[in-house]
Amino acid sequence: MKRGHIIALGVFIALILLVSLGITFVGKVPMTTDVRPLGLFYLKNSYFGNYAARSPEVVTSILWDYRGLDTLFETGVFFLAIISALALFRIEKKEEKVKEKGEGFTFIVKDTVRIISVLIVAVSAAIALHGHLTPGGGFQGGSALAVVPLLIIVAFSKYALEGRGLTKDTAMIVRSIGLISIIILVLIPLAAGGYLMQNLPVFPSHILGQLTSGSLVFYNLFEYIAVGAGFTAVFLLLSIPEKVFHKIIGGEKE
Amino acid sequence: MIFIHLVILAISMILGFVFSYLAIMEEDLLKAVIYSAGQGVMFSIAFYILMAPDVLLAYIAIAIGIYTALLVFVISKTERKEVV
Repeated sequence: MKRGHIIALGVFIALILLVSLGITFVGKVPMTTDVRPLGLFYLKNSYFGNYAARSPEVVTSILWDYRGLDTLFETGVFFLAIISALALFRIEKKEEKVKEKGEGFTFIVKDTVRIISVLIVAVSAAIALHGHLTPGGGFQGGSALAVVPLLIIVAFSKYALEGRGLTKDTAMIVRSIGLISIIILVLIPLAAGGYLMQNLPVFPSHILGQLTSGSLVFYNLFEYIAVGAGFTAVFLLLSIPEKVFHKIIGGEKE
Repeated sequence: MIFIHLVILAISMILGFVFSYLAIMEEDLLKAVIYSAGQGVMFSIAFYILMAPDVLLAYIAIAIGIYTALLVFVISKTERKEVV
């Protein structure tokens, strides 16, 4: 590391320490220990009460019930981002497989990825499906799931995924199924005489004696599928080798 | 007890700051991405101490896994060294 870097870092760290110590001991910022009225309402009513989402996880009940439309449009933004990525790559023809000679990674990396990917799928499913009970939810679980195809693309190749049927088109179909199911879930309460994205009286709070918090578990499940498949499609597109990509697009010459 | 938490918070934020400084100043872009991932690790510790596990779960997958990998893909399509 150069000398200038050390000086700059030292100055910045000293500044941060001085400011934080100054705020704590001299400025006497009041430490708030009580919850604001709106927060108190959410805390009291997320499980008990007349307006409850029947979920002990306050964040998820805010995300998919109280402020549900926000999350719905957030999902819409993510949908548009993936669509624009697909439009940028504009690949319609089927690409040919390039066989490059090489050893690849050692068996240590490959076997580790084989074991770890199963673990990550299990953990991400737990994050998403327990989203109404513990911290986590559909988006968190889905983005954890998207790490699996990424690891496989890096350790093996993208053809290892496509040979097993997980092509860009399959990922897009799975993602569309997830998104359409979310839209249907949004519209179900309207058909039952309620409001858009209404949760509890329409959906049952317990299914087979298990707490499912109405529609929260379904929203989390379909968001999990949609986010995981959406990221997978983008990774499959990005991992196309540059040579093949130029051949398909037919643009600039090497 | 809260004092230990605050100390861990301060250390992780300072280390995160060091990592982000290194990521900006590094000319080898691949190394800069790795520094950026280190900053993500430090910030995720900070999120855990600030009692935001929902943010943490999304951040740890995106900042360390997906974001890093996206940038590595992008660097593989351009040049590795930053040219000023």
